[in-house]
Amino acid sequence: MNLQEIVNRLSLDVKTPGLDLNREVTGGYVSDLLSDVMGNSSGGNIWITLQIHLNIVAVASLKGLAGIILVNNRRPDEDTLKRAVAENIPVMTSALPTFELVGRLYALGLRCR
Amino acid sequence: MEDLSLHILDIVENSINAAATFIRISIVEETVKDLFTVEIEDNGKGMTDAFLQKVLDPFCTTRTTRKIGLGLSLLAQSARETGGDIVVRSIVGKGTVVTADFRPSHIDMKPLGNIADTVTTLIAGNPRVDILLHCACDGMRYRLDTREIRSALEEVPINSSEVLSAIRNDLLEALQGFFDQRPRLRPPKETGNVPL
Repeated sequence: MNLQEIVNRLSLDVKTPGLDLNREVTGGYVSDLLSDVMGNSSGGNIWITLQIHLNIVAVASLKGLAGIILVNNRRPDEDTLKRAVAENIPVMTSALPTFELVGRLYALGLRCR
Repeated sequence: MEDLSLHILDIVENSINAAATFIRISIVEETVKDLFTVEIEDNGKGMTDAFLQKVLDPFCTTRTTRKIGLGLSLLAQSARETGGDIVVRSIVGKGTVVTADFRPSHIDMKPLGNIADTVTTLIAGNPRVDILLHCACDGMRYRLDTREIRSALEEVPINSSEVLSAIRNDLLEALQGFFDQRPRLRPPKETGNVPL
């Protein structure tokens, strides 16, 4: 599934202007423990978290993730977003809590892989 | 990182990569101050002021294999998530001191984890590096110094399995019940009775 399609279907708010969202999303991963994401997510996954620290961009970049969705309208600071743009990691926010958001992603056909 | 011992392992690896031959690991809890401090000091090559300025930035690293180094950034995040903070001081040619303060009553405080295994692993993997572990919690004190062990051992290598096993057992015994590893959440004082 394409990231742009996910953004449209779930009305996500894209916080990283200018990044190309036409990229394949291979699956999803949910965790707020960064070392867990390092160990268990797969390249091309969309990552759902409430963490807004700059370290999320580093983890996403290292793992080659397709992007990060922040739940509950969590707002990262400007520095995190600037770095996300520089690293080509799209960051989106959703007003939904994690359970609801992940349910909708699953309904769209996304799986953990 | 699921617990503080993994953070400690990670930061000490930095010291070893910086050619340190002596590393002091200090773990001190003062319950009345709600303060838990982890300090790691080494005599490695140190950092320039310019590098020190950006040392908590995950995109700053001495690694050549990849451009991201997370050790200090993750420790800083863990400390700040509890309302604590981190300070890194360094002098080129002298060494580096990393001090992370935590608020142990905070809900996001991580458990200490298995310090006995962490320290034994460090000694086993780095037999030429001397390690001083200092633990204190309120009135209790514990100290392990590989320099003292080494001089008592004379010809026996410090990373022989018998010595490592003895060190691990001593640590396990000494640190049992030393730091309170139970969840330490205190109920908010003002809330009173919450209707269920």
